[in-house]
Amino acid sequence: MESSVTETAPHLVEGAPDPGGDVTEHPGVSALRERFGDAVHRVGCDALGYPVVWVDSARSVEVLEFLRRDPDQAYDLLADVMGAQSGAETPIQVWYQLWSMRHGRQLRVSCEVPLDDLEIGTVTHVWKTANWLEREVWDMFGVTFRGHPDLRRILMPENYEEGFPLRKDFPLRGRFSRSEQVRRSLTRGLEDVYAIEELELAGVPNSSRVAPGGADGTAPVTAADIGELDTTEGRRPPLRDIEPDESLGDLLENSVEGEPMLINMGPQHPATHGVLRLVLQLDGERIMRCIPHIGYLHTGFEKTCEFREWNQVVPYTDRMDYLAPMLYNIGYAGAVERLLGVEITERCRVLRVILGELNRLLGHLLWLGTTAIDIGAFSVFLYTFQERERIYNLHEAYTGGRITTSVTRVGGMMADLPAGWVDAAREFVRTFPATIDEVERLLSRNAIWQGRTMNIGVMSGEEAIDWGLTGPNLRASGVAYDVRKARPYLGYDEYDFDVPVGVHGDVYDRYLVRIEEMRQSVRILEQALERFPDGPINIDDYRVVLPPKSEAMGSIDTMISHFKLVMEGIRVPAGETWYSIESSKGELGFGIISDGGTKPVRCRFRGPSFINIAALPVMVEDELVADVIAINASLDVVLGEIDR
Amino acid sequence: MRKLDTIAPGTDAAAEGVVDTGIPRNWLTTRLDYVVNWARRNSLWPMPFGTACCAIEMMAAAASKYDIGRFGMERMSFSPRQADLMIVAGRVTYKLAPVLRRIWDQMPQPKWCVSMGACASSGGMFDNYTIVQGIDTVVPVDVYVPGCPPRPEGLIYGLLMIQEKIKGESLSNPSPRDEAQGAVGLPNLPPETIELVSQPFGNSTNQNRVSGLAPTSALKRPRDRRERRLEHDD
Repeated sequence: MESSVTETAPHLVEGAPDPGGDVTEHPGVSALRERFGDAVHRVGCDALGYPVVWVDSARSVEVLEFLRRDPDQAYDLLADVMGAQSGAETPIQVWYQLWSMRHGRQLRVSCEVPLDDLEIGTVTHVWKTANWLEREVWDMFGVTFRGHPDLRRILMPENYEEGFPLRKDFPLRGRFSRSEQVRRSLTRGLEDVYAIEELELAGVPNSSRVAPGGADGTAPVTAADIGELDTTEGRRPPLRDIEPDESLGDLLENSVEGEPMLINMGPQHPATHGVLRLVLQLDGERIMRCIPHIGYLHTGFEKTCEFREWNQVVPYTDRMDYLAPMLYNIGYAGAVERLLGVEITERCRVLRVILGELNRLLGHLLWLGTTAIDIGAFSVFLYTFQERERIYNLHEAYTGGRITTSVTRVGGMMADLPAGWVDAAREFVRTFPATIDEVERLLSRNAIWQGRTMNIGVMSGEEAIDWGLTGPNLRASGVAYDVRKARPYLGYDEYDFDVPVGVHGDVYDRYLVRIEEMRQSVRILEQALERFPDGPINIDDYRVVLPPKSEAMGSIDTMISHFKLVMEGIRVPAGETWYSIESSKGELGFGIISDGGTKPVRCRFRGPSFINIAALPVMVEDELVADVIAINASLDVVLGEIDR
Repeated sequence: MRKLDTIAPGTDAAAEGVVDTGIPRNWLTTRLDYVVNWARRNSLWPMPFGTACCAIEMMAAAASKYDIGRFGMERMSFSPRQADLMIVAGRVTYKLAPVLRRIWDQMPQPKWCVSMGACASSGGMFDNYTIVQGIDTVVPVDVYVPGCPPRPEGLIYGLLMIQEKIKGESLSNPSPRDEAQGAVGLPNLPPETIELVSQPFGNSTNQNRVSGLAPTSALKRPRDRRERRLEHDD
């Protein structure tokens, strides 16, 4: 592989071998080389085989804009923006993970930002979804995105003073003592809870706000830096036209119909599906503006995982999406297996498909029940929870846990299935569709249900891609993008199933798409249970999977492997990957970096809910307050995954 | 802890752990206690403060299979003003702690609190910069339900324990439910106790090692080993 300026841009992990693979023929790579020349420092290959381009951080915006706008590239989905750091003194890497719907190609652009000049251009004008993703990188690493319209803390409290948690010099348990953390948390003022613009809307004078990031001395973001959120593009005009140069403050004064009202919804609210907080500016019953606040459940998964061995990360993954836990287990194990370069056994692959689809049902069933409660149909909740209990029983028979299953291990599963499990699963698959029909009879042609959901929260296909929506929310807008079809994993290309798409992109279509997805999951389950093969469940490599006790007691080699795995854990070769699967909520990405040790250097989880909820302000604009509930419910978010 | 704060040391009442309200315990008050406690314990209105995985099990407990309506608790009260039992289900972050405290302060007396699951009770597997290491540092807790998450049966058992607790309460002794006026919005425990129960920097012994604050004795990563070798060379 030819590389032009290799020496100027080192690989993130020192000494990491290139996984090989010829990526120079990739049209994106050659075009970038041709057009940007020196700005392209290095070209490499992800563990999955798609190209990674390291570019000069000063010209990253140009490069990314070209990749989006050029018709031969057309990378229209910005799947992820993530930061990474390999050591306390090393520069911070910013990854842009791209996917082109038109050409079906994947590409990663990687930039290096030195610690003494932590600045890089924003791409919020190229992809709308970059807004929250860049805010998160700022919040966690302190990288300033030049020109970002609303750069402030997103997961941590607005006035968080301990620093940037995901930096390597940040201690796992924070800089302050526990009692100080409790004290500070309970004595938070208005400014810690509201954004500056909200305080201005509410007429609170701008007072002494400390620099965000505090100790690290980053310049504070002032109200003047925060532009208007561009949320009106391509939509019908709002109730009252807002001139671009007219500030909302003037609007308040000039209003003759009365004052707009600012209300808080959440974080403790029965219909926000967790601890989500929405600040709504209302004109009567209509939403003028919605500003979501997240981070109330920020659990520090990504930081904590850096202190755990590869297999110890598995129990953390299912606590992120507790509605469909096994999908996270499966995705994480798959990502690490790509880094290791091992192929799991056929039995394991089919079993993961079965468990994954069961959990897709589990996630959709919870969504259906809670959404029906939100919209006013309580009985559906009881129906769906009955089916969930049956899936829980299958979980319990296999793993011992109902929700927190932690079922996968790198290279296989925690154990083989107990006797009779497959028959129980077949029985479930046979009887389950009756419940879908029953729920459909209750809802699909119900006048109240239709009135509350049709033409509410409409989003067009292009808009949805621009906002980075994935999963059923994107498909309801008419875009047939499903990772299982686009980049098949676990042998999904061998199964016969359809990808349902909607037409209108409203709440009703999202409901229909999920109902149909449940039917398709049943189809996949039938096929998988039909072909479920015999054979070993784990791979035959005792450097990765734990040997059985009987063998460990008999042979000294096996005993040594057993001892090393228990005492040290797996060693994953140095490398990096961004691997994704289709979870029940959308594209679930795992950005994983290893330095050859027994623990990950970086464990990034791209939760689809995080991206999906970012589009909520556009969807609810100019709708009624009651519709906020329906739209928020229709997005199927899980706060554990949003806040991580 | 709270009880100790409200009772002046050296008095008889302090020795007994009971505040003397001047109402003698007689046939009338005990019968009244019985009726009041019967009414209170059989119609608890829970305020579900659900945040994470445990909230899903709490929903399962309310759904058809487990049905906490059997114990008079199916009326979930999403307004703290009309609730008397707070079920904290799931992890609580430092960002969420003031909300939790505020909701507790908004609930009228008498009120009880169940800490559901390992995270709410002790921080669970999240011993890090963002999770409160046990909600009892923020609000007083009556019953801790272990599990990650507890099964619905576990939650129901915890709720039955609350019922047992209510059975033993008396109108003539309001001290178990006393909260000092000035305690609103403040930590439930004094700073020394918080440090004591959670250690200044968490309750894990290898905090300093993994955080890089102190040199490590057991080196695991190749890079660490390299650095160590360089130090030795010096």
